[in-house]
Amino acid sequence: MNKGNILQGPMGLMLMVVSAIVALAAFGYAFLDLQSAGHRSFNTTSQIPWGQPIATYLYFALASSGLGMIAALSLVFGFKQFLPIAKRAIYLSVVILLAGMAVLAMELGHVFRMLWVIPLNMQIHSAMFWMGVFYVADLIFLLWKFQKMEGQEWDSKTSKQIGIASFLAVLLASGNLALVFGMMSMRPFWFDGLMPIYFYLTAVASGLAAVVFFTYLAYGFNRNAMPERTRVMFEGPMGKLFAAVLGATVLFILVRAYTGFYTNTPEVNVVWREFLFASPVYQASLWLGIVAPFVVMLIAGLRSNPSLQVLVSMAVFAGLFAERYFFVVGGQVVPLFRGTWEWGLIQYTPSLTEWTLTIMGSAMLFALYAAGERFLNLSDMPAEPATPEGAVAAA
Amino acid sequence: MTKWGMVIDLDKCTGCQACTTACAMENNTLPGENWQDVLYYSEGTYPTAKLTWLPRPCMQCENPSCVAVCPTKATYKDMDAGGIVFVDWNKCIGCKYCMIACPYGVRFYADEKPVVEPDIRDVFPGEGQLHAPPYQGPESDSVRGIGIQPKGVVSKCTFCYHKVSKAPEGVADLDEDNPDTKEYTPACVRTCPPKARYFGDLDNPESEVNRLIADQRGVRLKDHTGNRPQVYYLGSGADVPAYQSPKKT
Repeated sequence: MNKGNILQGPMGLMLMVVSAIVALAAFGYAFLDLQSAGHRSFNTTSQIPWGQPIATYLYFALASSGLGMIAALSLVFGFKQFLPIAKRAIYLSVVILLAGMAVLAMELGHVFRMLWVIPLNMQIHSAMFWMGVFYVADLIFLLWKFQKMEGQEWDSKTSKQIGIASFLAVLLASGNLALVFGMMSMRPFWFDGLMPIYFYLTAVASGLAAVVFFTYLAYGFNRNAMPERTRVMFEGPMGKLFAAVLGATVLFILVRAYTGFYTNTPEVNVVWREFLFASPVYQASLWLGIVAPFVVMLIAGLRSNPSLQVLVSMAVFAGLFAERYFFVVGGQVVPLFRGTWEWGLIQYTPSLTEWTLTIMGSAMLFALYAAGERFLNLSDMPAEPATPEGAVAAA
Repeated sequence: MTKWGMVIDLDKCTGCQACTTACAMENNTLPGENWQDVLYYSEGTYPTAKLTWLPRPCMQCENPSCVAVCPTKATYKDMDAGGIVFVDWNKCIGCKYCMIACPYGVRFYADEKPVVEPDIRDVFPGEGQLHAPPYQGPESDSVRGIGIQPKGVVSKCTFCYHKVSKAPEGVADLDEDNPDTKEYTPACVRTCPPKARYFGDLDNPESEVNRLIADQRGVRLKDHTGNRPQVYYLGSGADVPAYQSPKKT
């Protein structure tokens, strides 16, 4: 146990209890709403069937995948500088995926029916079927890997094999999630063969934001309280990795936006012009949540500053959440037939119940994370120092 | 094997919405949950503005994207039922992916805010079904999405399968003018005042629908998506104009 970890003391208990209360209250509110009014408590319609709860699920699921990929840096690829966050990343990956699944469950019309109807019908043509299969496999391998770490089995053959399997499951799950959108030729804003690459990049970006924020949180936002190897990682390679991933994300958004502004296809052009870039919220999330953090991380003198790292992680958290929201809604705002029911872009604003689900998922994440810090040693890492090969490779 | 198809002649259609009303009454749909609708849209500006309309049932596609995406096989194409696409309400989990995948916007998730007030579901509350209106179609088949739907499932036009399925075997056309087949003709076809709709077997070379498609060059909506609808349009205006921002018109 690490003495600098404030979440192992009263602070952690308080965070866990408060977050659990918020999560339960939010669940109770949404549950009662759904029981009494059904999905009338949502602002989604038959024209925009997927709203903020789906965007929240997407955000959490991809952040989970990103965390799995970050853990793989040290556990699969041997970048041992990132070992200090491997266990925390795996744990966060599990709990954020659970939070996402909880939000998704509240969005579905019949969640329990899903448990028997999917395995009994084996609709292998559906990307959503495979998304379910791969995310369940992902969750199992993550838990298995975590169990090995709990047993101090860092380098055994089985542990390594599970790590590789977990990494593959993460790739398949998030790649498939991308295909759920990317294969929709009738929704041109989403229709993109490179969607899995975009999802991988943004997944790692949101995963980095999560692991940076939650690691700092564990140590009371005081880097000096971190164990030596964790501190060294945050002083060096973490900022560089963050810069690289954010840079690639900016590039990808830029290319998509450029194509969007150029094309005549209304479902793409109008969405970029009149829905995304016309929205001050989107503009703010793009410039302050992704571009500005990239610039900060690009400057060598700034990227290792602890306060800026926390700020950047929070900005990227918010920026990518908005990115997911605008992505999900953006694919649906142009009516399939402009006419009787919609003359302009379809209007959608999340309802209170939909916001409550986002709050429920977030609070659930904080509560489970605080429990993890309290009862499981998430700062744990192998006792051996980094090997020279790993250090060179990571550098 | 029978492959039911519909032909809609846009040169005859007056946009009167009788089909929409007949469908709603036949299938007990909620106000705004229009399995069959006539959409109005405009092109150009005064004095050369053009108002057109498009009757739009479910296209019962030959290669339906909604079927491929459904993770539970709740939505399926039944070749034995003339190639009609159904939703099995006992299997639907309400993920709404089929609604995303349908290029025609003809699927509904009725468990949402009412399009028209008052909310009929509150006026006629139902036990185990979305609502319980005074008149309910006597035939219901939840495996084919016929009847009043329960909560949390997706619904859609069934080509009035509860009527069509009782048609004499091997019949080429279901025509409201033919006393032998009028009872089996889909409600929207039967009620159409200018007789702009035709319903028949696309696999039968003798059918009127095949003759019309061939003679009058029937087209299918958004055929580039590869869905290959079993609904064909005749006449001018079958090409729906691309979306244009209202600001630009």
